Amino acid sequence: MQAMEYDKKQTAAWITPPMLIAFAVFATLPLWIETVGLYEYLAVEVLIWVIFAMGFNLLLGYGGLPSFGHGAFFGIGAYAFGLAQFNVWANLWFCLAAAIFVTAVIGGIAALFLSHRRGIYFALMTIAVGQIFYFIASKWTTVTGGEDGMLNIKRLPVDFGLVEFSIKSNVGLYYLTFGLFVVVTLLLWRLTNSPYGRVLRAMKQNETRVAFIGYSPRLYKWSVFTLSCAIAGLAGGLFAMAQEGAYINIMSLQWSGTIVLIVLIGGGFVSFWGPLLGVIFYFVSRDVLGAYTDTWLLWFGLIFMGLVMFKPDGLAGIWRDYIGGRKAKSEQSGNPATVASGR
Amino acid sequence: MLYDLIPHIINGLALGLLFALLALGFMLIIGVMEVINLAHGSLFALGAYIALVVMTPDGGLPFAFMQPYYDLPVIPRYIIALIVGPIVVGVVGMGLEICLRRTYGKDPLYGLLLTFGAAMVLEEGIREIWGSSEYALPIPRGISGGFIAGDLIYSNYRIYAAIFSAAMIGVLWVFLNKTPYGAVIKAGAHDSEMVRALGYNLKRLRLYVFAFGAALAAIAGIIMAPIWGIRPVVGVDAVVPAFVVIVLGGVGSFWGSVSAGILVGLVVGLTAAFLTDWSLLSMYLLLLAVVTFRARGLAGKASVLEA
Amino acid sequence: MAVFEAQHLHKRFGDQVVLEEINLSFEAGQLSGIMGPNGAGKTTCFNVLTGRYKPNRGKVVFEGKDITGLSPEAVVRKGISRSFQIMNLFDDYTALDNVVVALPQVRKRGFDVLHALDGHSETQDRASEILRRVGLAGREGANAKAMSYGERRALEIGVALATEPRILFVDEPTAGLGTEATAQLADLIRELKRSTTIVMIEHDMRFLFGLADQISVIHWGQVIAQGTPEELRGNKWVQRSNLGGLA
Repeated sequence: MQAMEYDKKQTAAWITPPMLIAFAVFATLPLWIETVGLYEYLAVEVLIWVIFAMGFNLLLGYGGLPSFGHGAFFGIGAYAFGLAQFNVWANLWFCLAAAIFVTAVIGGIAALFLSHRRGIYFALMTIAVGQIFYFIASKWTTVTGGEDGMLNIKRLPVDFGLVEFSIKSNVGLYYLTFGLFVVVTLLLWRLTNSPYGRVLRAMKQNETRVAFIGYSPRLYKWSVFTLSCAIAGLAGGLFAMAQEGAYINIMSLQWSGTIVLIVLIGGGFVSFWGPLLGVIFYFVSRDVLGAYTDTWLLWFGLIFMGLVMFKPDGLAGIWRDYIGGRKAKSEQSGNPATVASGR
Repeated sequence: MLYDLIPHIINGLALGLLFALLALGFMLIIGVMEVINLAHGSLFALGAYIALVVMTPDGGLPFAFMQPYYDLPVIPRYIIALIVGPIVVGVVGMGLEICLRRTYGKDPLYGLLLTFGAAMVLEEGIREIWGSSEYALPIPRGISGGFIAGDLIYSNYRIYAAIFSAAMIGVLWVFLNKTPYGAVIKAGAHDSEMVRALGYNLKRLRLYVFAFGAALAAIAGIIMAPIWGIRPVVGVDAVVPAFVVIVLGGVGSFWGSVSAGILVGLVVGLTAAFLTDWSLLSMYLLLLAVVTFRARGLAGKASVLEA
Repeated sequence: MAVFEAQHLHKRFGDQVVLEEINLSFEAGQLSGIMGPNGAGKTTCFNVLTGRYKPNRGKVVFEGKDITGLSPEAVVRKGISRSFQIMNLFDDYTALDNVVVALPQVRKRGFDVLHALDGHSETQDRASEILRRVGLAGREGANAKAMSYGERRALEIGVALATEPRILFVDEPTAGLGTEATAQLADLIRELKRSTTIVMIEHDMRFLFGLADQISVIHWGQVIAQGTPEELRGNKWVQRSNLGGLA
């Protein structure tokens, strides 16, 4: 019943059944995505955004810190990847590491201004921070290319010393992204099931008490913000390769809001897997609704409003209620003994 | 040098008073509903579009049968727009408030998200109806154009906008402080129990206050339209200064918001005079600086924002 | 010897003075009570003593060290803990997890991002032991949100205890409790007193006078009387407040 809820018990396991399902689905995705009428590039896009969204949910879902400026860090990762490639060393691992590092450092500095804020003030400050980076990126044209974007970012070959793979094809890039997705998922899974994750969730529930049992809320907020920026940087670096360029629009307030919306639609407040469901839902609706209407965002916005009003726990919450409902039904019709011992 | 700045100061003042007007509606909603209305900018934009429809057939709507009306002089149409715009947007605001009822008593984040969704719906709805291109709102001749004094050019419209907004702010202050309705709204801003104890219907109060806040946004939108032009994205351009003003001025402080609005307007206006591209950035830097040193803004009290 | 001292504390918010001049000292191993009318500044005083607010002037000394103005987390790490009058629990956590997260051995691993806590029997046992002490044995798995008011009061103290304090500040533990629950709480506090120095704000005079070794009366932001319960029974301030039944 708790399959779609933050686990009550923390687990020591590195791998869980839902994780295996997710890995199996994504590992085989390029094989069947075209038969369901979608296309390979969409798979790349989805997986990159899943990485971004899962890192973001560490902040939003686990830490209870609504950042409305996170798109900026995704964008910074993309620019950092491009700059590293053009100016330093066109090596995939180096450039990805640079994207992560630069974003984490900038995020860490921004977090210094944010880590003593609470609630909606935190949200407002993240809007300001995100917009500042947006304006810097849009005006500093010599570095970022401004409104035109940073063009011609290459999909660098995956270099394992002895062997080298090209990721010029979307499938190639997809499998690189998949590999990183697996690594990020495993690390985030451990993190959310560790003492650190426990403190984060405690902080979300009651920040005052967290301080009065000896933890520094500032330090935890700062660290989780920086960490989620680092993951945003990785996703941004991958996105720069996917788009073969870095563009300003993903740093805008709309995109920063959209990532919040995606994570919540999926159910990031109640489930580790919420962000993943949200990303899939968002991109598939974009393509499916988008095929019928130019104003798919209008319909998407209406769906979103409906979810916030009636199912605030999102898709994961709906799934949980559905499974819970079915279980309750089978328990009612089944052996009374199982009902009594069910809890 | 200082003398050359006068037109920029007037521009900044006009901008600032409009920001303050927008922010005050925003703040009323925070005060009574404890909701951060992210759709406030979209309501602002909608106000401008409604005015456009009321004033010209360019609005793209098939209202050809209204041609005799469009042949009226500009001034009566402008006045009608200033009345019809806020009413229509107020009704939209009521609809939004009814949706919001499901989020009361929950984490304030849900109200924020619902209004974010509403902003998206309104903006896309505007795009669907009026398209993405920019419109200009016709204005009466008396307030258009400019005049030269000394060797500087002044814009008539900016002066009109500053005076109009200041007058609206004054009317709002009188309404909130000198009428029984204002007293109830202020009671609601402090304590919803109190509203019930006074024998008022909290549900209805919330509905009307939301409509009122939305109507103020529409008025600000109509006045701003000739300055910023009418585009779908104008909503985002408006909601962000409203935030900044609220945070700077401190939630719950009328004059705090007015002075913060003027401050933001002047900073934006003066930066625009010298570093056109960076004018909006200056606003955020101002916010960051003030909030870093004064957590609750210039005159703020503890509020739902910290929950 | 006084283990905890407050000297000349003064606290104001804007132009409103809440604590005029507070001098307090608490002896090791004793239960010190603080009483006074509503709005006298008792809770503000606790907030200053435990790091929530910085005093405008004055000093807070614990075990000979100046701890004035330290953050709440630093104060807790020195061995000072508190419970709240308005409950501050982790509502979505179970009773056990509320206590686990407050244990010092968990706190030391706060930045461990790889290993699970559950199944770590030492911490679980320690937390269960604390729950048993506060009378919540068998309620380990209950969600804090779903517990009764009395149970939440007990858990509030359990969380404070879990930090292994050498001095425990308790803010109105009986607020809202019925007679029976109050009696149970008195037993618990008597038991805690054997191992921990306790400072308690309390409105229930019968409760406080039955337990305290020493009592300070705060009014208008000042300590207006101090002494053992016996000495204070004759005090006119105490008599004038709601002590009628006892005197």
